[in-house]
Parts: sequence; structure tokens; C-alpha cells
Amino acid sequence: MATVESLGAFVIGGYLGPIAIIGLAILPAAASARVAGRLVRISLLLTLPIAISVVLVSVFTRAGVHVLFSIGPFDATAEGVDFAGQTLVRLFAISTSIGLFGLTTEPRSFVLDLERRGLSPRFAFIALATLEAVPAMVERASVIASAQRARGLDTEGSVRARLRGVLPLVGPVILSSLTEVEERSLALEVRAFGRPGRRHLLWRIPDSGTQLIVRAVLLLALVAAIAGRITGTFPSLP
Amino acid sequence: MTGRAPDPGAVSTSAIRTEGLVHVYDGATRALDGVDLAIARGERVAIVGQNGSGKSTLVRHFNGLLRPTEGRVLVDGADVADRRVAHLALTVGLVFQDPDRQIFAGKVRSEVAFGPRNLGRRGAELEGAIDAALVATGLDKDAETNPYDLGYSRRKLLALASILAMGTPIVVLDEPTTGQDARGVERIHRIVAELSASGRTVVAISHDMRFVAEAFERVIVMRDGRIVLDGSPAEVFAETAWPTLASTFLEPPLAARIGARLGLGSTPTDDTLLAALAAR
Amino acid sequence: MLELTGVSYRYAGYATEVLHDIDLRLADGEIVGLVGPNEAGKSTLCLVASGLAPASVGGSLRGTLTLDGTPAAGLATHELAERVVVGFQNPNTQRSGIAATVFEEIALGPMNLGLAVAETVERTREAIERLKLEHLVLRDPQRLSGGQAQLVGIASLLAMRPRHVILDEPTAQLDPAGTRLVGEALRSLAGTGTSLLIAEHKTDLLDGLCSRIVAIDGGRIVIDGPTGEVFDDPRLTELGVERPARARLAAALATRGVEPGVLAGALEDATR
Repeated sequence: MATVESLGAFVIGGYLGPIAIIGLAILPAAASARVAGRLVRISLLLTLPIAISVVLVSVFTRAGVHVLFSIGPFDATAEGVDFAGQTLVRLFAISTSIGLFGLTTEPRSFVLDLERRGLSPRFAFIALATLEAVPAMVERASVIASAQRARGLDTEGSVRARLRGVLPLVGPVILSSLTEVEERSLALEVRAFGRPGRRHLLWRIPDSGTQLIVRAVLLLALVAAIAGRITGTFPSLP
Repeated sequence: MTGRAPDPGAVSTSAIRTEGLVHVYDGATRALDGVDLAIARGERVAIVGQNGSGKSTLVRHFNGLLRPTEGRVLVDGADVADRRVAHLALTVGLVFQDPDRQIFAGKVRSEVAFGPRNLGRRGAELEGAIDAALVATGLDKDAETNPYDLGYSRRKLLALASILAMGTPIVVLDEPTTGQDARGVERIHRIVAELSASGRTVVAISHDMRFVAEAFERVIVMRDGRIVLDGSPAEVFAETAWPTLASTFLEPPLAARIGARLGLGSTPTDDTLLAALAAR
Repeated sequence: MLELTGVSYRYAGYATEVLHDIDLRLADGEIVGLVGPNEAGKSTLCLVASGLAPASVGGSLRGTLTLDGTPAAGLATHELAERVVVGFQNPNTQRSGIAATVFEEIALGPMNLGLAVAETVERTREAIERLKLEHLVLRDPQRLSGGQAQLVGIASLLAMRPRHVILDEPTAQLDPAGTRLVGEALRSLAGTGTSLLIAEHKTDLLDGLCSRIVAIDGGRIVIDGPTGEVFDDPRLTELGVERPARARLAAALATRGVEPGVLAGALEDATR
């Protein structure tokens, strides 16, 4: 769904296209998953840096005739503003659709579903292990911090004192992770993680008929839009 | 039962005291449920109990890593409430169970130097403390070795040396004998005895009942965040205490069980059992 | 049967061998205990006996390892995994890191073997029952205590139903109750024809469990014989191996001129 919407935002020209996508598809879906508020907030935050640079670049450098104002050698044109506007709307459509995916999909289920549909177990493992790596690291770092504080490392004092604490805090995290790698990979081999071929997974991600239909419809709509754009039969939208 | 009632006169001589100590994790788990405890200076105390009994939670209050939800903790007569962990490290040294969660230096010697350095030791005093710690743990010949070139059991001894060098009056050990072979256990036993002989207080968490019975003069048994037994090994491992021990899924050392079978009274260690047999 | 013949082994990048001329045989259903001081080569021997050294770890092996008649030399690591498993003492490294629950963690082994779902579930249930982990099945494997994690690690290996199981200090993190639990699980496992090699410091555990004891020092096997004989051997103390309580106490009594027979009956009762 995210892919279709992102691509759709590009294909359908003008302002109306992306806005329609956001209004008709993304936000209602977000609302039904109860993440609409968070989605809008996060997407705005994420697109802001790019948005600023897009606006600055487009407004001033886009070739245009109707000059609105000038700063030094740079002219701000109406065409530039128009282009900037359209790009911003598209960006927002993309970020909200990807954001929707991120907020509503459980990473584990996604990876396991991919494996069920043919992704190699090894890649699935790497993806899952990466996902779990961060919480495990955080846990490890917290134990290390306690141990070093118990040896008099001051984590509440001056900035200089805290800088001196970087190596004793970060060092063991890296060292212990590295030294564990060998034994970890041995333990994985023992449990046949390296075995080529498919596995029969214990998990099944529920996939309803409705979801199947929605996906099919979206895909068809996208194909039609692309075809329309290419053949030039797509109406020009404001 | 909350253990021996703290003697009012003992306030000034207690190394560690807790009063009505309660600790709740995440607003839900009651890890400590009212612990009243007084440990005298120079005492050798072992704390035993199942996972979840509260032993680790309890000792982490002694150096301020955890703060009470209710109640007080006093170290050397003063409430720990206003003291930072780094400051309490001058008084209480805590050896963690997993050495790999603290080792960061490239050489054994530098690793051991970290603790005392943080406490302000310098020069000859520092070097002397490091040397003594290395000799006690049998690492003196490996002072320039990379810690990860040592096996796991010797890295555990390194973690112990790192705390010994800090010279704290109170030393807390978390499962010091796991992973050690017979010689390693003997060494730890010797270190505990030496610490106590020099007037320092030793508190150890252990599930090795034989080590506990032989190296410590006082055993505290915990269950569900409370102290259920508190006394000498002979008292705690006596037959009358077995039902309480069983309720915590602990077993007395073999020597105690044999002594009871033979009607020899409480014989928590090999030596007391043999003495009782010889005397019969 | 698992058989090591004339095996010497050197780790990759090291000049000296750490195992010398090892001859060791594990018959089906046999439980053999491996004792020795730390850094004598117990862990290396476990690695070599599983074939992972050199198949995964590298290094160079002289002599042969044979698994049920097949030489291990040509086998890929997953082929080795179908015949023999080895477990280490650090529960953190035994964890896969990708399972959401203990049940999944234990199921990963059989699942990786490409077994049908029903078979995977069956083997997982069996392993859980053997180690009495029913109360932990829905827990997050990352949030277990050291002892619980160690039990889950052992169960994860047993779920693969290998012919040979090698365990390097499986009870290091366990209290006496947990140690006894593992002992019972391994005993019942051997009853199904699985052969077991257990490296341990807890000689009391080995005393009740193993039919044979092998003592290693400086990379060489110095004693190999029936449990009773080996544990009465005074050489063990010189090696730095703590003898089991009965042998220790009997020897101490003998030196004090007390009749050890007095002890025997009480010991039987006390250790039951």
C-alpha cells in the first residue's frame, strides 16, 4: 500500500492528486488504525528539513517568468512557488504513506511473512536479529553502566568527568559484543541456522480477503495511472 | 520473620543497616517487602535464596544503584539517600557476576587501576593496592596480559581484583564462585577470610551451599522479598530449619544432611561432620 | 557412537596444539563426565567432539572424529547439527536473539531442520516437558534470569533430538534444584539411546549421572574409567578437581581412622 501510494503521488500531477491520495486513502487508513495524529506529527517533523531546502531551491532557481521578489541575484518566481508547492504535497504524501506503514506494521510479522512468501531464511534471520539487536544492546549498556558506577565512575558530575567515562561505558559494550560473536555464531550453527532450503514456519500472519481485494485495486489503479501518464491521456489537474 | 532485631546500641557499629526497606519495580513488582537488617563491621555474611527472592535487589541498595521505595538504608551509620553512587563507592565495593560487563582495558593492570583511580588513589599508594589485589587473585604474573586472553574464570577473578584494589571497608560479591574450578573456589574462600581478618565486611550472594557453609559466619535466607532465616550456618542448616529452606527450594549442604541422618546434630560443613563422627 | 581417535587440535593462528592424542569413545545411551581444571582443554574438547572445530572455527585437526560410522571431516556444519549438538555455559550466547517467546526459541532448532510444523511442535513440547519449563513458555527469552536462560538453552538443543549431546558446564548458573532438574532430564534422555558428554565442575552431579569419567589436564586425557574408580582416585585432587562428597568424606574419615562404612548408609539416604 505504501509503495503504491508513494508512486501514485508522483504519477498523478498537480496538487489535487497527492492531496486526494492523502485525504482519501492514507488518513482514513491511519484513522482506522488510530495513529492519525501521530502520523501527521511525525511526517511533518521528518519532511521539514527536506521541505525547507526544496522550497529554497525551487522558489529561487526554477525557471520562470513571473518574478515575485528578489534577494540579491536570486529571483523568486511564481512558477518556482508553484513547483515547490506541488513537490511539498508529494513529499508529504510519500512520508505519510511510509509513516503509516511504519506505525501499523509489526516488524517481526512483516519479516516472517516475507519468509513465508519466499524470502531466504538467512535474510529473515538477519532482519530479525537486527531488530532485536538494539534493545539487547541497551540492556547490556545499562548493566555495564551500573558496574562502572559501582567502581566510582561518576556519571552525574562535570562534563569533563563524563567524557572520561566514555571508554569505560562504551568499551565493554563493543568488546563483549565482539567476543561473543564467535560463540554466538557457533551456537547458531549448532541449531542448523545455516541449513540451506526452506523451513516450515510456525507462524501465519492473518490475511483477509478484504486486504487482498484492496491490494489488487490499488495495484490496478497505479498501473492505470502510470499508463495514463505515459500515453499522455491523463487529464491535467490543478 | 525479619531477621535479628537490630540492637539500638549497634547503630554506631553497623556497617550496613536497613529499616523497613521496600523496593517496587515499575510500580508493580514488590522485590523487597520490608527488610530489617543489621550487618556488623567485619562480619562475613552470605545471602541465599531463589531467583526473584530479592537478593540482588537488596545488595544494590548498599551502594546506591537502587534507591528505596520505602524505608531507609544506612551505610556506616549514614543514610545513603543523599549520597551519589560514585561517592558510596568509597565505602562499598560491589563485584558484579559477569566480568565481561565491565572489562574495557587492554591490560589486566590498567583494568584493576580504574576503580582506585576513580576514588582518588595515586602514586605508590595506587600501585601498592593494585599489586596486592593481583597477588590475592593470582593474576600477578598476568599484569600485562590482555584481559580477553584470560579464560572466563580468570576474568571473574580480575573483576574481583578490580574491587579489592579499591580498598573499600565493605565488599559485596555477586555469585563469586560460578564458573570456578576447585582451586578457584579455594582462592575465593581465602580472599573472604583475609578481608574479614583485616576488619573488612564481606557480603556475598551465592547458590553454592557448601561454599556458604564453609566461608561465612552468618547466612541470610530470602524468599519473596523478605528474610525468612538468619543465623549461623549451623542454625540455618539445622534439621529444624529444613522445612523453611524447602519452601524456598534450597537444600542444605550434603554434610548437614548426613549429620542429621546420623543424629549428630547440625553439621553444616565437612569438618564439623568429621569432627562429630570422630567424637562419637 | 561418537569416536575420537588420535586427535590433536590447534586453533587457527596459534602455533601450539591445545589437545594432544585424544582417544575418546561415546557409546549410544552412555553418559560420560569430563572433568579437569579450568583451561585444561575441556571446552576445546567439546568443540572438537562436536565437529565444529575445525568445521566452523577453523584450526587444524590431526586424527579423526567419527559419528555413527561417518567421518565428520567431510560434513557441513548443518549436517553435523543433525547428528550432534554442543551447548556452552554462557546463556547469552546460546540465545538466538530473534524469538519472541521461550516456546519459539526452543522451536527454532527443529524448525531450522526443515521439519513439518506438527513434528516441530511435538519435539518442542517434549523438550519443555523434560526440563519442566511449562511456566516459562510465553516469556521473553531476553528477560530470563541466568539460570532460566541456561535451562532454555539446554531445552533448545534437546528439541533437535540429536544422537549425541555435548554440554560444557550446563549447570554453571544453576542452583542445586536446577542442577538436579538437569540431571534428571539428561538421565531420561540417555535412556532413549542418546549419548552424552558433560563437562562439569560439580562432581556430585556427575557421580549420580555418569557411568564413566574422563579427566583432562594440559590437553591430554589422564584418566578414563568407570565413575566409582575414577572418583576414588587420589590423583584427581592433585589435578585440582574436587571429588564428590562421598569420596571426599570417605577419604577424610579414613585418614582419621574412622570406619567409612558408617557414612555409606547415611550418604545413600541423603543423596536420594
